[in-house]
Amino acid sequence: MIFIPIWDGSHGCASFIVGDDADGRAIVVDPLAAIGADTYILSAAEVGLKIVGVIETHVHADHHSIARELAQKTDLLVSMGHKAPLRDAFNPLHDGDQFDLGGVQVTVWETPGHTPDSISLVVTDKTRSSDPWLVLSGDSLFVGDVGRPDLVDPTPESTERAALDQFHSVHDKILSLPDTTELYPAHYGASACGGLFLSPKPISTVGYERRWNRFAQITDPQAFVTEVLSLLKPPPVDASLIRDHNLGSQQSH
Amino acid sequence: MSTSLTAQDFFQQVQDGSALLLDVSPAHAYSKAHPAGSYNVPFHRRGWGQEIKRALNGQTPPLGVFADNTVIAEAAKESLTAAGLSVPFTFDRGVKGWDQEGLPVESVKDLTVDELARNLDNYVVVDVREPYELRSGIVPGAINIPIGQLQGRASELDRSKPHAIICASGNRSASAASWLSQQGLEVANVVGGMSLWMGGRHPVERV
Repeated sequence: MIFIPIWDGSHGCASFIVGDDADGRAIVVDPLAAIGADTYILSAAEVGLKIVGVIETHVHADHHSIARELAQKTDLLVSMGHKAPLRDAFNPLHDGDQFDLGGVQVTVWETPGHTPDSISLVVTDKTRSSDPWLVLSGDSLFVGDVGRPDLVDPTPESTERAALDQFHSVHDKILSLPDTTELYPAHYGASACGGLFLSPKPISTVGYERRWNRFAQITDPQAFVTEVLSLLKPPPVDASLIRDHNLGSQQSH
Repeated sequence: MSTSLTAQDFFQQVQDGSALLLDVSPAHAYSKAHPAGSYNVPFHRRGWGQEIKRALNGQTPPLGVFADNTVIAEAAKESLTAAGLSVPFTFDRGVKGWDQEGLPVESVKDLTVDELARNLDNYVVVDVREPYELRSGIVPGAINIPIGQLQGRASELDRSKPHAIICASGNRSASAASWLSQQGLEVANVVGGMSLWMGGRHPVERV
């Protein structure tokens, strides 16, 4: 497997190239405007990989996405959770969908909470083991925290419903993975999408978070929701503008 | 395309032997299909143009860049130009576009590790990795010719038999197989190389 994390520390954003050197195909996950579309194309090419998928784990509200430009330059459609309210055409992903990259298999898990369209990607290197090796958890389970539930619709009812979705995504899905599974969330450090406990460290394991993430310790759904809501930070000022930009080209100004 | 030279014009020069066409795609893509007569030199950002200049050994033929992506084609052209080489032709529409121009496409025959395992007796297996890499195990009976020695040692190969070319992941072997195929040998590239051979739990010989 070839796995290249590409981080933008100034915004606390993570993006990834996942591919199979024995097969020559790769996907790019959550490409960042701060890095630039061309960097992903050239970084993949020089390790022998052709980009066959451009995936967003959700509609981002904290940074400009470059997924559309990258998809255009690689003759692809952006792939996203089927619930994404995008204005442009995209390739809708459903729970259990797979990207088959030869020895590397990427499985889509719907993990709503931060947004209704949020997905996580479970990555297995079949040449090593049938165990998942890593999960790109998007904005579900973070290192030390969970993705905030209030950026799509800040009303109390919606936020509470989203927090409950996040409980199930984190506890029933991400935390069902083996302890040895590496965890690569979409954010770390300074990101506005996490809470007060978001670690500046970009990587963890499912086992470490199971043991030490305060939200993994709360097994009662309602107690989880209460804790998440009581710890909310103020929303980033430009969240709705950025989200609108990321929703697609046909904007009504 | 920002070039005045048509693909037909440039291909004519390649056939005359007065120009070189460089397919800058990864070896996997090249192996599947590439313009007839092109050489595979996958692009990277670490002095790629300088590497090609050294390989040309003082010669300065007009160079064509072939890619399936504008970003890669432009970066490759820039790297060659920065090394002082002349690039009168770039093509960024890949094999599909090349075919649409009515120009010939060639490919290297693929062999999966399972196909090779089933027909091991029918092939001479040529492992083009470096000698130290063989410590992880080889396909039983494989002979080793490191890719750098291939040009000098191709005459050792039995032209009456089919050859399966293998390396660690299928990249170097794709380049080796395409060159051997141009020399008139019957060859196939083992897709995924030793990585998939061992991943598929096929037998290995320790050397």
